[in-house]
Amino acid sequence: MRQIESANGQDLREMFAVATAWLEKSAADIDALNVFPVPDGDTGTNMLLTMRSAIEEAYRAPDQSASAVSKAMAKGALMGARGNSGVILSQIWRGLAQGFAEKESFAGADLADALTQASIMAYKGLSNPVEGTILTVINEAAAAAREHIASNGGDLKEVLEVTVNAASESVAKTPTLLPVLMEAGVVDAGGQGLYTILEGALRYLRGEKEQMQFRKPQIIVSDVTVAAGLPHMTEVEEVPYGYCTNILLRGQGLDPDKLRMKLKKKGESLVVAGDESTVRIHIHTYDPGKILHYIGSLGTMHEINIRNMDEQHQGFLEMQRERTLAVDIAIIAVVAGDGLTEVFKSLGATVVPGGQTMNPSTKDLLRAVDSVASDKVVILPNNKNIVLTASQVQSLTNKAIKVVPTETIPQGVAALLAFDYEADLEANTGLMETAKSAVKSIEVTRASKDSQLNGLKIKKKQAIGLLDGDLLTVGDTPTGILNETLTKLDLAEAEVITIYYGADTEQTEAEAVSLAIRQQHPELQIEVVKGGQPHYNFIVSIE
Amino acid sequence: MTVKIITDSVADLPPEVAQELGITVVPLNVRFGDEVYRDGIDLTAEQFYDKLKHSEILPVTSVPTPAAFAEAYDKLAEETDVILTIILSSKLSGTYEVALQSVGLMKQKCRVEIIDSQWAVMAQGFVVITAARAAQAGASLDEVMDITHRNISRVDMHAAFDTLEYLKRGGRIGRAQALLGSMLRVNPIITIKDGVVEPAGRTRSRAKAIDYLYNFAMSYSYIEEMAVEDAACPDDAEALVEQLSRKFPKDRIYRSKTTPVIGTHTGPGLLLVAILGDR
Repeated sequence: MRQIESANGQDLREMFAVATAWLEKSAADIDALNVFPVPDGDTGTNMLLTMRSAIEEAYRAPDQSASAVSKAMAKGALMGARGNSGVILSQIWRGLAQGFAEKESFAGADLADALTQASIMAYKGLSNPVEGTILTVINEAAAAAREHIASNGGDLKEVLEVTVNAASESVAKTPTLLPVLMEAGVVDAGGQGLYTILEGALRYLRGEKEQMQFRKPQIIVSDVTVAAGLPHMTEVEEVPYGYCTNILLRGQGLDPDKLRMKLKKKGESLVVAGDESTVRIHIHTYDPGKILHYIGSLGTMHEINIRNMDEQHQGFLEMQRERTLAVDIAIIAVVAGDGLTEVFKSLGATVVPGGQTMNPSTKDLLRAVDSVASDKVVILPNNKNIVLTASQVQSLTNKAIKVVPTETIPQGVAALLAFDYEADLEANTGLMETAKSAVKSIEVTRASKDSQLNGLKIKKKQAIGLLDGDLLTVGDTPTGILNETLTKLDLAEAEVITIYYGADTEQTEAEAVSLAIRQQHPELQIEVVKGGQPHYNFIVSIE
Repeated sequence: MTVKIITDSVADLPPEVAQELGITVVPLNVRFGDEVYRDGIDLTAEQFYDKLKHSEILPVTSVPTPAAFAEAYDKLAEETDVILTIILSSKLSGTYEVALQSVGLMKQKCRVEIIDSQWAVMAQGFVVITAARAAQAGASLDEVMDITHRNISRVDMHAAFDTLEYLKRGGRIGRAQALLGSMLRVNPIITIKDGVVEPAGRTRSRAKAIDYLYNFAMSYSYIEEMAVEDAACPDDAEALVEQLSRKFPKDRIYRSKTTPVIGTHTGPGLLLVAILGDR
């Protein structure tokens, strides 16, 4: 593998620009982890916004040295810092910038030093540092980097690798240090965010920028057994949380340490970070007025943001509920045609384009599996030739995959409609398979070549009708073939008939067939839907 | 002294049942423009759906007035010193809050306990009925409350809708919004969990929706009470009762009509099964 000895400011910026994009992919998942210090569910978003601001500022650095770029990023992070985690992240950047000061570029040993500085600054920003949070993660990650340099030396990539591994382990054990995480059965959100950023930077160094587009950061799962967690989360104890107050203070000769002492008793979750000219303050208080009054006397206030945390907390609970239940099982369906795609989407499926003559690859399906929020996934191939491809996906992912081997679109729709929101993956697979077998599918298409099949002589381009995949009829017009195929079924036993007409078929043709059926069987519920599918003039479902 | 039971009109108790068990029903209100009707008192279910069909104004609902609860408390306080009020899910309505506040408006002295049933319709109804039966049998307030809490977790209901538009408009749809927006004609099935509306499934036809409700009932190993309710679709309700009567004595199936307040949020065509029992 390529050795990466050192990086300059431009590399630093690129590394973390990629890391920020990486963080963005899991910001929402990190939000959902957020239970400490206040379960308001915005840690991931706050860290992302802070990083974005840092990257923006990085482009304004006066030169391309590591020193100048990191200093600009620290400034950007401070300016854009949001929430508790954002402010701590900005402190980390401040420490990194101190570590890179005067350096044109940085090597593995410099990174270890800078991380150590970052850790010190992170602790310094808080009046009451708590372990089992982002603080522990930066601390242990920096320590691992230092140790590695002391015993092995090592190039930049190697040191970052060690750092990321240590961060990952550190995140995994946060629940053992912080009881509220244990109760909720999650790892610390801020720690996870930091890990994701560092991991993103490492992937950039490894040259994985391209692959990162198709992947998603993993949320670390603690191997610590979680005590009966969830009920506590959902049974709302209505603790008044007061107001989350954020202020950017500008002035001269400001003293963050003194300010921190002053504000210590005025509220919870206090974070004060900055320098003589700019200080970022974050505090949870019952009386934001008093805080504003005091801060205002020290300089000018900017970006004042006060939010009622009761409301934030409510929003968080909603989000938790959505995440724990709504996306419990995802369904991925392979579908061709704009109309059919809309039908599947409207019923809650994630659609992978494909079908007859355009089978998706295992990779296409895997990408869809990775993209859904749920870790339980049902795949509906909707075509005989895609069933096998779909069954390969399980070996490539940690998510639980079930393939319901639907071979036609009507089978897919029937399976999708059978989804029971209250049942688990196993039970739902059973329900979907039963539903799939209960529906009959007619497909009308044009023969691709002259042939003889099932005792029928077929000329190329003739219309042919298939019932559940078996060739049944051949003739000149698709409409005629559809009507003829329908006569082979006992429609008196049916309840609902749905006609999806294809891209090359007029709605009026489908309506005519519908009318003909209705005249013979007035009790049937018949629906004509624009399928827009290629190849098939008609796809008809008989339930 | 005998515990007296109060509930709200959303429990959809058949009037004769409420009367027989001595249950006081405090009505919510439904309003068409500036005409306000007390649920089930000033406006019956039939009148409501007729009005819904012809009125150009869509109805809205509102919680009972604190005075309505206070009056009910005071009236019962003349006969007893312990009142248990069982209210529809506090996540679906502010009625629970009103019931709480109204205690402060009482003129009489009487202990009033208020329980959030976390249900509505006859699922709430069965919680109320079993509490009232226990009270009539002479159970103490603590005992009645115990039974109430136990039965809150023993009731369930599934409801088939023609459309979820009413539920959506009234802001009560919760996560059942997952069932909205289907490009195919479907009959959504919903339930209530932890006091909020949740999706259960969907079927392609009304007949299949009725089958779904039948299968829901069949999933029980023991059924203590069962109710079939409808909103302006009595024929479907009768068909379902017929089907269910093969498994459960027909004369023990409560037949109820959703009140105007429920109807405002469900629209016509609602058919539901509520069950008290064990799976």
